[in-house]
Amino acid sequence: MPTPRLSCLALFGLLPPLLGAAPASPELNQAWTALANSRPRDVLRILDSDRGSRPERLAWAAARMNAQPATDDNMRAAEKVLVELATGSDELAAEAAYLQARLYQMYFVQPDYPRAAELYRALAARQPQSHWAQLGLVKLAMLKLYVLPDATTAGADRLAPAEALLAEIHEPLLQRDLHRQIGQAGVVLKQPLARLLPHLVAADRIGGITGTAHEDLIVQIGVLSLRAGLLAQAKDYFERYLREYPTNVRAWNVTRLLTEANRQLAKEGGG
Amino acid sequence: MRRRMKRIGFWLLLLAYGLASYWVFTRSSPLLKERPVTIWFAHWQIERGPPDGIAAVIKRYEELNPRVKVVQLLVPGATIYPQWMRANLAGGTGPDLMEWGAWVEGQKDIPARYFTPLTSELAQPNPYNRGTSQEKIPWQDTFHDKLLAPRRDSPDPGQIYGVNITETSLRLFCNVELLRKITGSVAAPKTYDDLRQILVKVREYVRRTGQPVMGLAGSRDTARAVAETVFSCPLLGVNQRMDDGGNLYLYNRQVLADYLEGRWRYSEPAVKAGLQLVREVTQAMKPGFIQLRRDDAMIEFLRGQAVFLFYGTWDATTLRRLASFKIAPMKLPSVTPDDPEVGRYIIGLGGEGQGETSLAMYLNKSSPHPQEAIDFLRFLTSVPGNQIFTDNSGWLPAVDGVVVPEEIRNFRNYQEGYSFGQAPYDAIGSEVTILWDKYFYKLVGDQGSADQFAAALDQAMPDAIRTDLQAELRTSLVLVKPQDAMIAGWAGLADGDPADRRARARQHELEAGQTMTEGLVLQMRRTLDLTAGNAGR
Repeated sequence: MPTPRLSCLALFGLLPPLLGAAPASPELNQAWTALANSRPRDVLRILDSDRGSRPERLAWAAARMNAQPATDDNMRAAEKVLVELATGSDELAAEAAYLQARLYQMYFVQPDYPRAAELYRALAARQPQSHWAQLGLVKLAMLKLYVLPDATTAGADRLAPAEALLAEIHEPLLQRDLHRQIGQAGVVLKQPLARLLPHLVAADRIGGITGTAHEDLIVQIGVLSLRAGLLAQAKDYFERYLREYPTNVRAWNVTRLLTEANRQLAKEGGG
Repeated sequence: MRRRMKRIGFWLLLLAYGLASYWVFTRSSPLLKERPVTIWFAHWQIERGPPDGIAAVIKRYEELNPRVKVVQLLVPGATIYPQWMRANLAGGTGPDLMEWGAWVEGQKDIPARYFTPLTSELAQPNPYNRGTSQEKIPWQDTFHDKLLAPRRDSPDPGQIYGVNITETSLRLFCNVELLRKITGSVAAPKTYDDLRQILVKVREYVRRTGQPVMGLAGSRDTARAVAETVFSCPLLGVNQRMDDGGNLYLYNRQVLADYLEGRWRYSEPAVKAGLQLVREVTQAMKPGFIQLRRDDAMIEFLRGQAVFLFYGTWDATTLRRLASFKIAPMKLPSVTPDDPEVGRYIIGLGGEGQGETSLAMYLNKSSPHPQEAIDFLRFLTSVPGNQIFTDNSGWLPAVDGVVVPEEIRNFRNYQEGYSFGQAPYDAIGSEVTILWDKYFYKLVGDQGSADQFAAALDQAMPDAIRTDLQAELRTSLVLVKPQDAMIAGWAGLADGDPADRRARARQHELEAGQTMTEGLVLQMRRTLDLTAGNAGR
């Protein structure tokens, strides 16, 4: 009789490591689904902060960040779990580190942008290939464009710090998003067209932008190209806009500008 | 005796049971035939037309889908719907599908909080368009304007939340007989100055005959419609001047920020020219119009006491069914650069584009039957479904491929020209609108003037505009913050099932949308920080 008992014990002993590689538990699937559908309170009902697998604890922390009441105490409770999870070297650790940075940027009552920036930077240094580190670089670049102290230096090239981070991003969709942000920031920060326009064009070339953002981008590149004297590019984008949005209220104005671009091209002998 | 009482009690019980059974099976809803899924569809279009059109679509849809029952909820819009909508959404009792509009005061945050984006679904063809001219075309491209307003009014620039059912425009509905009686002609005004001259003739007619007739049917709602239309004309140049981004369009948040940065004022000449135009058109309405609502204006017009009613084509069916005289829908002429009064402030013709679809329906995030609700929206906005709606409502369709009935075909005769902003400067934010209404008495009536109205607005607006920009920022944050958890959720689902490409796509879609909205948040915060000392000036 002792032999089977021992083997049973051995089998149970093997279970935890096996569970790690096994498909996600029903509770975890439920938790991810609830998070995806913006129902963080359901996650807090299903999971605990101090028990369960690492993915379960990550789901709990993400839910804690978004559930009411959004007090600093609750954010600190989420941070405690995230800090523990971030000590690994896998994607989950990177995601936890990313979410910790988000806490300082968006969730504490008083945002701490330098601290958020420090965490994004540390994550990128530790796991540069991770998706979450790459996404963190996009957020870091946006902070550099608008709010970090070095962004207020008079006469400084306001786009350069973000462009430097762009070079570290290898995921095309994230490159696209940052190109677009640099281009838009260039407009807001009144930077020269020659500096910002290539970023908008690059964002468009990578593609996949949806909604009104796509329509805005095409017309914007057309108009700014015309202002910059890039007539052929302006013509291309105006024609594309009219093909894609023929019934839009802006179409009449775009047609007028296309005529103007064509007129200037003809004058230059390039039309 | 006791046995007898027991027997009576038993028979009474049996009788009560029998009566209850009879009542349940004959008078109440048919319990046994109830369909397993019920979709609640709420809107405020209680005019003549739309309820009939939607009911006809539901009838056909239920024939095609025996599992689903669709219930149409008609909720009066002007005063009840906003409160009803918010209370039900907050309480978790909101209907599956709801109408919403960006102009509904104080409700800007609703989509971000309570609605689900339909972007992925809209990128796929609508299955109910099989065998029609719109087959294989992505759902969003089957709409006449490719869903201009839901894209423009989306809290998240990368997402589309709403689906439109109809197309509307603003028209000058004319009592043709009255126009002939007063002016001797039935010719539609070709220029804004022609309209001005007609309104002068109406005043002369009233003076001569003592008849109680006004040029325009008056109410707070119709005044706002006509005021915003004429006010927009000189604003085209102001908006063009401020369009640093080259979007050929200014969103409300940009106009608010530009005011805080001192780039425009109500008292600058071009804006004041617009106020002068507003004064002109409201002078053609009866005194006290601001206390009246749209229904009062319709009654005034239907009684033959006003030559024109300026309002949306959404009232055309009601007018046609109720009027005892011939009505001609006309276009309100745009104010042009050759206008003798304000022409020097006009850069060109204002345009209506090629029409804008409306009556936007949104999917409640908490709907217990999202797939069925989306499926009903697909049918309603398919060629066959929208044809049923149009034929039974007398309203224009929203999708291409639908045959437009002859009597409403000229609603699509649009004015082409510049269009440069999300809203005129009376409606760029809730606080702005409240102040506009508060001081409106300084503009209208014998004692009013554009000068004193503009001065009052510029005195009071900086704080209001700041509050509105802060509200825009908060609305964006409402959207941005929950997205971190949602992104984590979709990433978790995608990691758990690498074959689930939809989950990964949704994760990336959310990341892109969040980054875009976050950029706007940072821009707004920057403006608020840089102009913090300007409030009250």
